[in-house]
Amino acid sequence: MAAGVVWVALKGHPLGVTRHHCSVGGPMGMLRAVCPHGPPWYPRVRYGTPWVPIPSPHRSLRFHPRSAPSHSAGAMVVLRAGLCPGLTEEMIQLLRANNIRTVVDFVSSDLEDVAQSCSLSYKALVAVRRVLLAQFSAFPTNGADLYEELKSSTAILPTGNPSLDQLLDAGLYTGEVTELAGAPGSGKTQVCLSIAASVSLGLRQHVFFLDSTGGFTASRLYQMLQARVEDKEEQLEALQRVQVVRMFDIYEMLRALHEVRDCLSQQVESSAGPLKAVLIDSVSAVLSPLLGGRQSEGLAIMMQLARELKTLAKEFSVAVVVTNQVTRDSSTGALKSALGRSWSFVPSTRVLLQGRAVPWEEGAAPHTACLAKSPRQPTGMQVQLDIGSDAVQEQRPVTPTP
Amino acid sequence: MQRDVGSLPLSPALRARLLAAGFQTAQELLETGPCGLSKEIGISREEALEALQVVRQECAGDAAKTAGGSGSTRKCTALELLEEEQTQGFIITFCSALDNILGGGVQLTKITEICGAPGVGKTQLCMQLAVDVQIPECFGGVAGEAVFIDTEGSFMVDRAADIATACVRHCQLIAEAHQEEDHLQALETFSLESILSHIYYFRCRDYIELLAQVYLLPDFLSEHSKVRLVVIDGIAFPFRHDFEDLSLRTRLLNGLAQQLIIIANDHKSAVVLTNQMTTRFGQNQSMLVPALGESWGHAATVRLIFHWDNTQRLATLYKSPSQKESTIPYNITTFHLLKSFKIIKLRASGLPRCAASTCHPKCRRY
Repeated sequence: MAAGVVWVALKGHPLGVTRHHCSVGGPMGMLRAVCPHGPPWYPRVRYGTPWVPIPSPHRSLRFHPRSAPSHSAGAMVVLRAGLCPGLTEEMIQLLRANNIRTVVDFVSSDLEDVAQSCSLSYKALVAVRRVLLAQFSAFPTNGADLYEELKSSTAILPTGNPSLDQLLDAGLYTGEVTELAGAPGSGKTQVCLSIAASVSLGLRQHVFFLDSTGGFTASRLYQMLQARVEDKEEQLEALQRVQVVRMFDIYEMLRALHEVRDCLSQQVESSAGPLKAVLIDSVSAVLSPLLGGRQSEGLAIMMQLARELKTLAKEFSVAVVVTNQVTRDSSTGALKSALGRSWSFVPSTRVLLQGRAVPWEEGAAPHTACLAKSPRQPTGMQVQLDIGSDAVQEQRPVTPTP
Repeated sequence: MQRDVGSLPLSPALRARLLAAGFQTAQELLETGPCGLSKEIGISREEALEALQVVRQECAGDAAKTAGGSGSTRKCTALELLEEEQTQGFIITFCSALDNILGGGVQLTKITEICGAPGVGKTQLCMQLAVDVQIPECFGGVAGEAVFIDTEGSFMVDRAADIATACVRHCQLIAEAHQEEDHLQALETFSLESILSHIYYFRCRDYIELLAQVYLLPDFLSEHSKVRLVVIDGIAFPFRHDFEDLSLRTRLLNGLAQQLIIIANDHKSAVVLTNQMTTRFGQNQSMLVPALGESWGHAATVRLIFHWDNTQRLATLYKSPSQKESTIPYNITTFHLLKSFKIIKLRASGLPRCAASTCHPKCRRY
C-alpha cells in the first residue's frame, strides 16, 4: 500500500473534492487513472506533485473513467465509429461480436485476449484505448489550484435576515445546496421570498424561483421590497429580476432545471442574466408521490434530481436553496427532514425551521431556526427568526383579537 | 447540452434497459431510430416508436417551452405575476372579518383548507362559497360556477337554497339602492334556479372514487370553463378508515395534492378542502391538530382552523403565504354564515341590513 495520499479532484464531479488512499482498486473500484504518457496504470498528477506508484492492478480491476457532464455523454457510451480516430465500423462489429459494446467494456478488458479473439492488431487497440481514456477520464488537479478556483468563484449571498446569516456563517454559499426544512406554517416560503428579495434588490442579481406548491405570492414579495427600499423604480426592477416557474411534476422540474443550465451555458443575457440563486419550493412536494411503498424508481429519480442540482450549483456557481417537509422520528419523536437518508447527503447545509405549535394560544414561541447539518458551523446552533409581516426586521407578536 | 435518459418520463423498466445498454442522452436515442433501438434493447418496434415519440416531445418541449396544453405559460417574472394577482378577484365569504384576515376572500389559483371539529361550520362555509362564487362581477364577485365533491353526504339542498335566496336578496337590495343599468341586467340572470343549476355536485363514497373524480376533473373543467371553485367536502373521511398501509396513504395524498394544485393553477380556480381534527399527544398535554398527518399540512397553501372557545366560534388563519396569522370570531345565522357583512367593492352606507333574521315565506321558492 502506498504511503502518500493523492488528492484526486474529480473535475466537474458534483461532489467536489474527495480523497483516495492509493490502495489497489479503492473501496468501490473508483480509481481514476490518467495516461497522457507512459503505461496506463500509474496515475501521474499534474503540476509537479509527486506521483504515487500503484502495484499492477488485478485483472478484475475495472476502470470507471467518468467525464464532466458538460462534455459529450458519459462513460457508458456505446462504441460508435468516429468516436476516436482509430475506431472503424468493422472494428466495432468485431468487438460487438465479442460482447464489447461500451467504452467501459473496452477499456477494462484485456487487450491481448481481445486482439486474439477479434483478430485485430494489438497496437491499434492500445492506441484506441489510450485515446478513449484521455477523452473520458477525469483529470486530477492539486489542492492549491482547487482552493484558488474556489476562492475566485464562490460568493456569499446575504439572506436578508441577519440572524439566519449568522446561522449560515455569513450567508448562502454559491456552489452548495442548502436545505430549509419545517412543518407547515413554519416560514419556509417566507424565508425563500426574503432571500429572493435580498439577492435581487441588494446584489442586483437574477433569481430563479421554482414553485411547486403554489405558495409564491408576488404581492408578498412586493411588500418585502417596499419595506427595504423607497424608490418605486428599484422595486419594479427587482421584481423583474425574479423569474418564477411553476411546475408540479418531477419531470417538469427536471426539464426546467435543464433549461436553466442551457441558458447559463450559452450565456444568454436576456432572460437569465447573471444568475446567482436558484430557489426551489418545495422539493418534497414533487418527490413524495414517488417515494415509499416498494417502488425503487422514486429513489432513482430523486438521485437524478440531486445530481442536476449539484451540477448546477458547482458548474455555474449558483446558490441552490431547496425546501423540504419534516417527519417525526418514530423512536424519539423529534422532527427531522423528510425524504429519507438518501436525500440527507445531498444538501451540504440543513436548517430546521420551527414555528408555533398551536397558534391560538397566548404567548406562543416565535419562529426559530436550528442548524441540523453544516460543513462550517457547529450543529445545534439555534437562532430566533423574525418573520414579520411588513418589515423583516421587527417582530410583531400575534395576539388573538377578542 | 443533452437531456439525460434518467430524466425523461419513460417507464422504469424501459429506462433500466436503456441505461444498461449504454444510452446516456436523449440525442443518442433519437439518432438510433426505432429499429436500431428495438434491436439493441430487445423490445418490440411499436414500443420503441412510442418511447421515441415521448423523447421527441420532451426535447421539442425544451425548445418551444410550451406548458403542455394548459394554455397558460408557467414561466414569468415576478412583476407579471404581481400584475396578474392584482387583477384577480377573490371569492367573498360574506363575513367581513374572515375576508379581512384572508386578504379579501378565498384566493383563486390556491388551495385553501378549512379544518375544524364537527359542527363548527365547515360545510356551511363551503356551501356559502359555492353560492358566492356566482355573484356577478358588477356586484364584486367572480361570476363563476362551482364544483362540489361530497364524500360525507353533508350537502343539504334546502340549506343551499336558503343561502342562495339570501344572496339574491342582498344583490337586489344593492341594485335598488344604486339603480345602475348593469346591475339590473345582471340580476335578470342571477336567480335561485340559475345559482342551483351552476353548482355541479359529485358524490364519492370511498377514496378510489375520490381519486378517480379528481383525476377526471381536468376534462370536466375544460368543458365547463366557467368553473371558478372546486370544493371537496371531507377529504379526511375516505382516507381515515380502511387504510392499513400508511405510506401508501401518504403517497396517494401527496399525488392528490399535486393534482389539485395543477387544477387550481391551470383553470384559475380556487380549491377549498375541509379536514377533520384529531388528537396528538405532546409531552405532557394533548392537542387538537388537523387530521391526515404532517405531510398533508404542506398540501394546502392557506389553512384556516375553526375552533370553539366556550360557546364562541373562532376562526384562525394558521398558514398563509401573504397574510399574518390572526383569529376572529364568527357566527352562523339562519341565512348566512356571518356576523356582519359588507361587499368589498360597493360600500352602500345607509343600506338596511339584509333581513337575515326574518324568515320571509315568499323567499322560499324552488
